Amino acid sequence: MDSTQKLAAIGALLATLLSGAALAEPTHYPLEIENCGQTITFDKAPERAVALGQNSAEIMLLLGLEDRMAATAFWPNAVLPELKEANDQVKLITVEFPTLESVLQEEPDFVAAMLTTLLGPDSKVAKRADFEDLGIPAYLAPSACTTNLDTGDAYGSREEMWNMDLIYKEIDDIARIFDVQDRGEALIADFKAREAKLRGEFAQNDDLTFLFWFSSASPADDAYLGGGNGPSGFIADLLGGRNALDTDAEWPTLNWEGIMAADPTVIVATQVDRNRWDLDKAENKIAFLTTDPTVSQMEAVKKGRIAVMSGAAMNPSIRTLYGAEELAKEIKAMDLSK
Amino acid sequence: MTTGASRAGLRLALLLISSLVILALAIAAATAIGDYNIPLRTVFLSVTNHMGLTAADLPRIEESVVWNLRLSRGLVAALCGAGLAICGTILQALLRNPLAEPFVLGVSAGASTGAVCVIILGIGAGIVSLSLGAFAGAFAAFAVVALLSNGATSGPNHTILAGVAASQLFNALTAYIVTTSANAQQARNVMFWLLGSFGGVRWPQFHLLALVVVVSLAVCLIMARKLDAFTFGDEDAAALGIPVASTRLVLFAVTALATAAIVSQVGAIGFVGLVVPHAARYLVGPLHMRLLPAAALLGAVFMVIADIASRVLVSQQTIPIGVVTALVGVPFFALILYRSRPQA
Repeated sequence: MDSTQKLAAIGALLATLLSGAALAEPTHYPLEIENCGQTITFDKAPERAVALGQNSAEIMLLLGLEDRMAATAFWPNAVLPELKEANDQVKLITVEFPTLESVLQEEPDFVAAMLTTLLGPDSKVAKRADFEDLGIPAYLAPSACTTNLDTGDAYGSREEMWNMDLIYKEIDDIARIFDVQDRGEALIADFKAREAKLRGEFAQNDDLTFLFWFSSASPADDAYLGGGNGPSGFIADLLGGRNALDTDAEWPTLNWEGIMAADPTVIVATQVDRNRWDLDKAENKIAFLTTDPTVSQMEAVKKGRIAVMSGAAMNPSIRTLYGAEELAKEIKAMDLSK
Repeated sequence: MTTGASRAGLRLALLLISSLVILALAIAAATAIGDYNIPLRTVFLSVTNHMGLTAADLPRIEESVVWNLRLSRGLVAALCGAGLAICGTILQALLRNPLAEPFVLGVSAGASTGAVCVIILGIGAGIVSLSLGAFAGAFAAFAVVALLSNGATSGPNHTILAGVAASQLFNALTAYIVTTSANAQQARNVMFWLLGSFGGVRWPQFHLLALVVVVSLAVCLIMARKLDAFTFGDEDAAALGIPVASTRLVLFAVTALATAAIVSQVGAIGFVGLVVPHAARYLVGPLHMRLLPAAALLGAVFMVIADIASRVLVSQQTIPIGVVTALVGVPFFALILYRSRPQA
């Protein structure tokens, strides 16, 4: 967070405290929450919550709930730096998919999951009934519901641009479950203010396109990119531009000839926090872009318009907003007119 | 002669009983071992409580872990091991090919296509479950093979080639649907689901697979003598008065059904169906009346032990079961290959 963001956050917090403190009603238990077409009931605020998935964990940490979290699991990326201290107080089961037994070992009184692979009818980790039979409420992120059989709807594809609304819904749900509505409202207000600030700072520019490069197995392989309507498209839109790829696919792969043909204004070389491939690292991406005899001839590379952003932002999560801010800072320092 | 036969019968009975005991011990171990630290006494009482033998007061979570997660999983692992080993044995006999295994008829490729049709294309719109989609896909692949090989009557090599063609076709369909999918989470769900795993197993899977495996074994045992004749070739089998075409088709259909049911519940788990029949043949010889039960028991024990290993090798997360079946199985298989090598 830079100082203006901090000020905005404090401002939003103060505004809520002054005007809304009395308005935010405390939770009355038993609390019923509609979640992915199911009703889940809470008799009291959770004391030993387990967060399955990075985004669920980071939302709880942003709400200051670390003392009510028993454990977390499944972290594809490093924790948000400002949450590291709080996160260190919470037990980490594994950064990979956990086993159901290791989750139950924590004797949770609430489980929140980020993906249907972690909690869902076909999950190899846990099904809702596993927890409900033991009287443990289980919550699935609303953004995962759209692809979940639980809802009874057909699996939806992302034909419309992704946005933060479902993330805000999740923050609101979690805040009510833990009876910390004031913090939830302040956090949502802060996020919305930051979103609006970015949108206000960047005028619509029809010529500005972004290419979001997540990773590649090797320079010769097709690159994994951020597709048109996913979080990558949302970030580009927030910054006044658009995604250089207009495919519907959320994670298209494309060869370098195709990427050169797309001719983006800015190439976003993301930093992916895992050790699978060399090109997960932003510095290795930049080294390839600037040294490959063909790729280095792209306009964006020749004019030095390569920006770095955390790869976590390309997953639909709170990190998308943080990534947009990171990228905003980078492109402000660039001369896009030449 | 009679004493020889009865001695062989005694030996077989001993082998049968001892492997049943080993299987029971393996399942007991699978029920006692896990990430959650549960005292052995609690494990024992959880099982007897559910069987109505005791009414001990136990922690609810621990009782549920033992009964709902571990025991169902151990039993399903045993059934899948037995089922895949039976299918492998039948296919190796019918196709007269030592490399034949349950997925040779394109069944696993078909299952993946069925799964993506449900998850990504939304066929069945939330009513048809992923498992049912996978089962339908698996059987569709078998239908293609049956069609291409003229009702599986065109001879072993023809059938194997038809299986290769069907696998390629259905794998390509799956890859096409996944790569053009608009939603990454759906694609991830499919891939994650397709990796063989017992993680999603609960009691309903046990009931279904118990029925499938028991019926398949019974059908195959009834046809055991006909299967013996097949090992010598179609002409010899026909000369012995066996209706070659119909027998072949029935047995293909049984193996395809059983494999499809297993794949639709736990994904594709390799190696067991290929290797266990060879190990069983090494132990009890080629006659199917003995070979089939031996392969079933050996496959069951092997799969239960492999699943225990997949859960304990790395604590709090699971290694894909296919990796473990190969890691645990290859050394044993190498030993059998070495000991049964043709003497110069």
